[in-house]
Amino acid sequence: MDTDFYTPMRLDEVESPLQDEVEKALGIDIETCMECGKCSGGCSNAHIFDFTPRKVVQLIRLGAEETLLTMDALWVCLSCQLCVDRCPSGIDIPRIMDYLREKALREGYRPSRPAVVLFYELMCSCVERRGRVSEAPLMLRFNVLTGQYLKDLTLGIRMFLKGKLPLTAGKVKKMDEVRTLFVSWHRRSVKRG
Amino acid sequence: MNESMMGKELTALVIGGGPAGIEAALKIACGGYRVVLVEKESEPGGLLRKLYSSFPRWENPSDRIGWMVDDLKRNKQIEISLESTVESVARTDNGFNVTLKNTATGGARTIDVQAVVLATGFGLMDLSAYGEYGHGIYPGVLNSLEFEERLREWSRGLGKAPKAVALIQCVGSRDRSKGYPYCSKVCCMYSAKQAGVVKDLFPEAKVYVFYIDCRAAGKGYEEFLREVIEKKHVRYVRGRPAKVLPDGGRLLVRAEDTLIGIPVEFTADVVVLAAAVVPHPETAALAKMFGAPVDEYGFIDHDLRSHAKCADRVFFAGGCGFAVDTESALSQGAAAAAEVIALFNGNG
Repeated sequence: MDTDFYTPMRLDEVESPLQDEVEKALGIDIETCMECGKCSGGCSNAHIFDFTPRKVVQLIRLGAEETLLTMDALWVCLSCQLCVDRCPSGIDIPRIMDYLREKALREGYRPSRPAVVLFYELMCSCVERRGRVSEAPLMLRFNVLTGQYLKDLTLGIRMFLKGKLPLTAGKVKKMDEVRTLFVSWHRRSVKRG
Repeated sequence: MNESMMGKELTALVIGGGPAGIEAALKIACGGYRVVLVEKESEPGGLLRKLYSSFPRWENPSDRIGWMVDDLKRNKQIEISLESTVESVARTDNGFNVTLKNTATGGARTIDVQAVVLATGFGLMDLSAYGEYGHGIYPGVLNSLEFEERLREWSRGLGKAPKAVALIQCVGSRDRSKGYPYCSKVCCMYSAKQAGVVKDLFPEAKVYVFYIDCRAAGKGYEEFLREVIEKKHVRYVRGRPAKVLPDGGRLLVRAEDTLIGIPVEFTADVVVLAAAVVPHPETAALAKMFGAPVDEYGFIDHDLRSHAKCADRVFFAGGCGFAVDTESALSQGAAAAAEVIALFNGNG
């Protein structure tokens, strides 16, 4: 985040097609936002967001693309859907967050939370191989790659002993369909920055 | 114009005995014509009878309705038909045959009237669509009409004194996802009034109003609102709360202060929801009987040429057309009466 809050943003010089982009790509009309803040009041992670969901929507209207693609909120949003569920205008903020995350990676911005990106990638590769998430290998891989060797160990063993944590998960039946999905995904794939 | 129109034996039917209906009845009677006023409750006064204090002058609404009902009862030109509803309507050459049903006795009678004023008022939306606010689940969550009753109890020293009260604006109103994109117009002012009353009764209580925009467009309204903030020390937070949670017997309100952009929480004893103003469900049915148009929400729509007219010989006033404050209801009642008198005088 490199925003200098006290330097006025020159509104007449902003040229960001972001609002149109969001409307075209996602079918979301930002103009329907009345900035009531109901999204942010209930947001499960607003307390650690640098920009609350309401501000994210307003930043799109302002065309502050740089701020949006470098903000921390992008990587701490859980996509829990509380915001869109309660929004009086039904603005799908998690969908916007997804769009911005993809855009940030595609355009080579360094995510503020690399571990989040790593987790997404590990999860996707897991799904790509087996068609579903198998928690134990995923968590193990994630913890090793982020150097948190002992994290979740006690809980993991307890869950394992209760039979709640199978070491492998079976494949889904129609793996070929899952592969087709991933092929098209890789085709328009993102350059990871 | 036929002969019968010239005489003073013409009768107008006024449906609804709230401020708009009473004003219409009184003014039509002043014009020299007969009036039958139909009210479904056991006494006239409508919604105004349920209110505690008023804006913009902190007057007691019961006083005003008391004077009006006295005038009504004294007036020989006006027949009041309480606990009555309209059962059926047949249009005649110069008016309507209207069958009234007494809901207490079950008896019915048919009267001839030459004009009708619809003044059925408004209600509040059903809040069960808002699970996040818990109306009907937590006893401390009230809609604004229930809160008026609570204020009355508090003023009589009944009930437990609150330490903190939260008033939430725009619950339903300005929410297109729930089907109410419109502003209910009166909530900003009555919430300010309610908040001010709480501070008068309990100066130590913390009173917060959660708003999106404060709409105080009216004579003396902005001054009233500023008085509530500056003199009575009611706090205003700009943000629509997202959730009301139970909190050890009290209620936790979660919101964003959208001017600062930080999440805020407030523990209250009572949470008041300013629910969207909606027409009574029977208004649309009644309008249909008299051939009057209603809009998509069930409010009566006016004729192109007059704001008080909705069909031939059918006029309307007050909350059945849209949310109104008391002053507007009275003005509209008088306007509908003017239309009726003009019609009866042969110039309508």
